[in-house]
Amino acid sequence: MRCTIPQAFALAALSFAAPAAHSADWLRAPEWEVDVDARLVNSDGQKSFVNGGLGTLRYDHTQSGLRLGRARFALSEAIGQVWSLHLDASAWADDDRNPLDLTEAYLQFRPYPFAGYRFRLKAGAFYAPISLENRAAGWESPYTLSYSAINTWLAQELRTIGVEGQLDWLGTRTGHGLDVALIGGLFGWNDPDGVVVAQRGFSLSDRQTTLFGRVGSSNSAPMRPLELFHEIDGRPGYYAGLESRYFDRVVVRALHYDNRADPTASDGAIRTFAWQTHFNAVGLRAESAGGWTAILQWLDGQTYFESHDEDLAWPFRARFALLSRQIRHHRLSIRYDSFAVDSRSDEGEGAQRGHAWTAAYVFEPDTHWKLTFEWLRVTSDAPYRVIELGIPRAATETEVQLAVRFALGPLAR
Amino acid sequence: MFQSRYIAGCFLALGSLLKAAGALAGALFVAVQTSDGRPLAGAVLTVHTLDGTGRPATPVNAIMDQVDRAFVPDLLVIPTGSTVEFPNSDSVNHQIYSFSAAKKFQLPLYRGKRYPPVRFDQAGFVTLGCNIHDSMLAYVLVTDAPYFGRTDSAGAWSVELPRGTYRITVWHPRIRESGQLEREISIGDADRTAVSVRLTKSLQPAPLEGRHSWDTY
Repeated sequence: MRCTIPQAFALAALSFAAPAAHSADWLRAPEWEVDVDARLVNSDGQKSFVNGGLGTLRYDHTQSGLRLGRARFALSEAIGQVWSLHLDASAWADDDRNPLDLTEAYLQFRPYPFAGYRFRLKAGAFYAPISLENRAAGWESPYTLSYSAINTWLAQELRTIGVEGQLDWLGTRTGHGLDVALIGGLFGWNDPDGVVVAQRGFSLSDRQTTLFGRVGSSNSAPMRPLELFHEIDGRPGYYAGLESRYFDRVVVRALHYDNRADPTASDGAIRTFAWQTHFNAVGLRAESAGGWTAILQWLDGQTYFESHDEDLAWPFRARFALLSRQIRHHRLSIRYDSFAVDSRSDEGEGAQRGHAWTAAYVFEPDTHWKLTFEWLRVTSDAPYRVIELGIPRAATETEVQLAVRFALGPLAR
Repeated sequence: MFQSRYIAGCFLALGSLLKAAGALAGALFVAVQTSDGRPLAGAVLTVHTLDGTGRPATPVNAIMDQVDRAFVPDLLVIPTGSTVEFPNSDSVNHQIYSFSAAKKFQLPLYRGKRYPPVRFDQAGFVTLGCNIHDSMLAYVLVTDAPYFGRTDSAGAWSVELPRGTYRITVWHPRIRESGQLEREISIGDADRTAVSVRLTKSLQPAPLEGRHSWDTY
């Protein structure tokens, strides 16, 4: 039963699309996009979380040089007027389980608004509406290469594998300044969610865990690879949120998430417990006509499991502030992140304190080309580095990346 | 500024000719200002006759395109009975909708396919959106007024009118005044009648321009 829901959704999507394919009126030529993101990397980072280390960067000191940041293929297919299918697959050029794998795959039901209200339904695997930073195609940030600590964690550990409903009141279409949305999600296959932040703490990168992939490579050490999108206890999780927009200038989001995992359950095949994880997330994004953007996000939660009558808990919290200015095809951004994981375990396993500064310049001359230069410095204190790796608990890691992305296809923008 | 004066001058010259024939009595000059005294460009002015003599303007065939996930133009003012074509010059599909009382419709715009124009028979405001791209927002003002127009960059608009009494209505997508701003005037034998309208409330923020075509989530 484990890990079959994404496959079930993919099959459901295909079976839904197949009969529609017989009618030219129902199935249109799909919209698609192919992106290739090449990087020149210079990093002095510790062994990366990608390779089983406790480093906070995607690339560590052994990985400086020319890298493939991401190769991405996206497909969007309208099925009739109100249904659509969305697939997003990526290759990350590291030792994942599959060289090309899905990050999102879902069906969307989006009927036309009625009297100022609209209902939307998503079914499949997709991101919950939390990040105010990852707003570009492929859940990328238009501001920086590396996401904030909060959104890196969401990219690593969270995916809604289930259904999400959204009820919109479209005030801006009825002479008001506000749009308001109520959002609710019901999901499974998220029981190990929490294990990465508890074991490795927060990090800052753009590496998104794929639906059939893992965090870490096959020879990850000392932290072994982790598979996240599994159902262990048969209990669905939920989230409920609110989004409000003031014209297109200000967006506020608030969401409560609880995977409702049974903290006593475990799965021997993937060698993990069901981590009971719940958190609150709020965010605000404001934009001006002069090209300024400010984003604030805050997240506070806890993950725990019960092993041999031990109550092990890891409260975590993170926040960031981002300021960005766009002038024509140029964008400059700066972000400050602060994050902490407390540990209620015997050895203090997983405790972490840290902060990070990110500065980025983006040049986007047209819809095909995008050039990004990013400087990222993470300062962190993790006592577990001494125990597990025999290295000092405090570390300052710096990563500089120059990325060139080329995008092709009707969806490229 | 020079252009508006030149156009006004043309109107006056034309008016003099018509007045000699007994058709027009005077020129109406309207100036619209924001609450802080700046000229308001693009404000829509409609002029209805109050004595029941004016007829609605002749219907037109207008175009509202979709370019870079935006409506172009984002505001049309058309007489009742006019049609609007939505050609979709984008590489992606759109789904245009309106649930405004004056015209409710839904129109899928799949790329590479032409769709018949939409006819607007009822006077009123029509707010348009795209069901796929929420940032897309546009307005169609359908009017049964015999005279209408929009202010220029100096916030000015002028028209030649026959002798009579009129109701002038001012509207702009960003004004906060509930309903429309109205003035009643009489045009006699005077050659020019000036009406100044100053908003009492600040404008709503303008849509952010050209920066959100990548907005997906």
